[in-house]
Amino acid sequence: MSASLAVNAAIRLTGAVLILTGMLFESAPDACAQALVVGANFVVKSLDPARTVETTSNMADHSIYDSLVTFDGEDLTTPKPSLATDWTVSPDGRTYTFRLRRNVRFAGGNPMTSVDVKWSFDRVRYLKSNPAFFLSSVEDVLAPDPFTVVLKLKSPNPALLPILSSSSLGVIDSKLVSQKGGDASPDAKDKDKAEPFLMAQSAGTGAYVLERYVPDQEIVLARNPNHWRGAPKLERVVIRNITEPAAQKLQLEKGDLDVATGLDQDQMRALRGTAGVVAKASPAATTFYILMNADPQIGGPFANSKVQQAVRYALDYDGILALAGPGAVRLAGVIPVVFPGAADPRQGARTDRDRARALLKEANLGEVKGALTYAADATIFGVQVNLLAQKIQADLAAVGITLALNGLPRATALQLYRDGKNQMSVWSWAADYPDGQNFLVYAPGRTVGKRAGWLPEASPEARELAQIAADAESERDPTKSAGLYRKLDERLSQSGPYAPLFQPAVPYAFRSNVQGVTFSSVWGVDFWTVSK
Amino acid sequence: MLVGITLLTFVLSHAVPADPVTASLGEQAAADPAVVAAFRHEWGLDRSLPAQYGIYLWNLVHGNFGVSISTRQPVWLDLRQTLPATIELAVVAMSLSVLIGIPLGVLSAVKRDSVLDQLTRVVSLVGTSMPIFWLGLVVLVVFYARLGWAPPPGRLSATLAAPPMITGFLLVDSLLAGRPAVALDALRHLVLPAAVLSTYNLGILARLMRGSTLDVLGEDYVRTARAKGLAEGAVTLRHAARNALIPVITVIGLSFGRLLSGAVIIESVFAWPGLGLYAFRTATSLDFPAIMGVGIVVATVYVLANLLVDVAYALVDPRIQVGR
Repeated sequence: MSASLAVNAAIRLTGAVLILTGMLFESAPDACAQALVVGANFVVKSLDPARTVETTSNMADHSIYDSLVTFDGEDLTTPKPSLATDWTVSPDGRTYTFRLRRNVRFAGGNPMTSVDVKWSFDRVRYLKSNPAFFLSSVEDVLAPDPFTVVLKLKSPNPALLPILSSSSLGVIDSKLVSQKGGDASPDAKDKDKAEPFLMAQSAGTGAYVLERYVPDQEIVLARNPNHWRGAPKLERVVIRNITEPAAQKLQLEKGDLDVATGLDQDQMRALRGTAGVVAKASPAATTFYILMNADPQIGGPFANSKVQQAVRYALDYDGILALAGPGAVRLAGVIPVVFPGAADPRQGARTDRDRARALLKEANLGEVKGALTYAADATIFGVQVNLLAQKIQADLAAVGITLALNGLPRATALQLYRDGKNQMSVWSWAADYPDGQNFLVYAPGRTVGKRAGWLPEASPEARELAQIAADAESERDPTKSAGLYRKLDERLSQSGPYAPLFQPAVPYAFRSNVQGVTFSSVWGVDFWTVSK
Repeated sequence: MLVGITLLTFVLSHAVPADPVTASLGEQAAADPAVVAAFRHEWGLDRSLPAQYGIYLWNLVHGNFGVSISTRQPVWLDLRQTLPATIELAVVAMSLSVLIGIPLGVLSAVKRDSVLDQLTRVVSLVGTSMPIFWLGLVVLVVFYARLGWAPPPGRLSATLAAPPMITGFLLVDSLLAGRPAVALDALRHLVLPAAVLSTYNLGILARLMRGSTLDVLGEDYVRTARAKGLAEGAVTLRHAARNALIPVITVIGLSFGRLLSGAVIIESVFAWPGLGLYAFRTATSLDFPAIMGVGIVVATVYVLANLLVDVAYALVDPRIQVGR
């Protein structure tokens, strides 16, 4: 080939490459301006409401399935009517009667009646899956007429109404889902085959329907034009799995994301003050805490009450709050301040390292050493757990407690925690429903108490606290109930195998042209209220 | 091979000191013995380990990879959705590495100690030593956020619907569906992650090709070719480079297999729903059926890649004959 021909060919090839490159960097056509694009770090095991309690699933299901009651935005204190217009409670607190809203249809067209509510609740009870515990206090569900539902309880449960707001208890079109293999009989756990259908399509009365779910990629919701509250403002909601918080931040700044829900404190700091972006934090019904094992075989020196007290005085709470980020609130006890009955944060242990050293001296155990176990790969509501663990290690080292950091993958760390084998660990406990009852788990003999090796028979005080928890659980008078919770919480702030740290705030951000964005720590973004 | 890979994966995944119950059930559910029992029964975890393995192997030989605990889909469907995404990314990345790295290595060897040679060695060093996670984020910030030249992370723009899945390769499926705009959008999304993923292998290949070419250029037959009056270009391309390629082909084969399982970081940064991310998530969720499926697929890809390497040897070096 002659040199001129070669040069000619090279020029043509270069030109073609440049044209192609230019085409590549042109914008793709905007097919749907009315789609809200939401970035999330997916936690989805199922979209079948009767099988899931995960965060991203809840966010989608909350818009697809309506529950009997709900809450407005970020206010988790007062249950509001949803599919139930009103309700009564029997004097003994064991019978709840709900009147259903009339003229509500499922997205597929079938009318919603009490049969669907009973079927949906029975399915949750008998599938024995993740959300089964929500209805563990329910003895029976009755549908005496098409617009009345009666729940019979085994014993009074003042938290039932907040529980019923969960999207896991969303009402499903029983006729449709039965045809697709759904089963609500006592043998449901063996017979029900409806999950594949509910992962691809939905059967609710909600403002949106499930258009498409691609695991690990996206959940696409489409407007339900026949929704009983009226058609929602958005035509489509696309929830995209973007695991990297920095990538979410970039896309939000560029306008390719409308709402970002998986941000860290680093991204939030950068986003505050960014033009066109609103950065917010919503109180999370969650407690971050240190667990010290009260079983001397496992906890070693940390089973000693003076050492436990010393730990509480050694911590630099201001520094820990700084790590937790704006919106985080110091906790005195284990109940988040969003719930009635939480101890006043001002009553919590203060940083007093001299007192911590004095307590260690009184304990007379010599050098106090141990291992702090934590999920090294976890970031919870923007809080990087490994940084928190390092801070705790440094704080305790300042008073002479030597901690080795035992960071493990989440699954392994969680196993040790649930088996009650942590000598010392840092964890969080999130409310599954908006009620302080969630946090009775810290009482001696209850879920977290057992993991901390703390049983009622350990001491008279433990027995007393267990009784206070039992009384709080069944007390129906709101004032007396709050009093009992406060009594328990104040006692847990001063003694016991925990060092309560803070209630985090969920960081989220959205474009300033998007209105109505709220973030509830129970179900995430409520797409019904959002418009752009 | 099947028994070996599945047994090894089975043993290793069950050796982890954690229970799938812990990874799959919430706090309250895990505290309910009835729920735990139902979960174990549903996923066959209440059987003995040999029985679990035997059942899995029996299903496998009948083409059933089982159902993923975390996606609730058949594992083969998960793999069908994720593997093409990673192959698409890996093929483009490897193509970039080969098409740029090898010529760069040859030129660098031919123009030894020149400015080009120095530049190649710097590029090689940077490519192999740059943390790929950091590079990915920097590239996103520069080309996407600041310059606006590149699209956001993901395989496709959020406002476009994906074409019907036929091969799983978005580029191919879009064209088959008669939607060239979607194909172009998919190609745009592929450029940055593939470029970042190619940097490590590009550095390796450039360096290796340079060294291999330098060795070959000193051989007697090359001196003979020059003595026979062949043009320098012909000596380099027809004699030196071709022979210098042989050890490089081995590295290409091994690198491709590594690309598939090592793409998890790039897939995380660029929200690329590929096998790497799937493997990471299912491993941390103790999703045994999915873990086994990924193990089989990755091992198979390694074997196929090495087979292709063997075939490539025969093409490059006529002295090597496959099958003899």
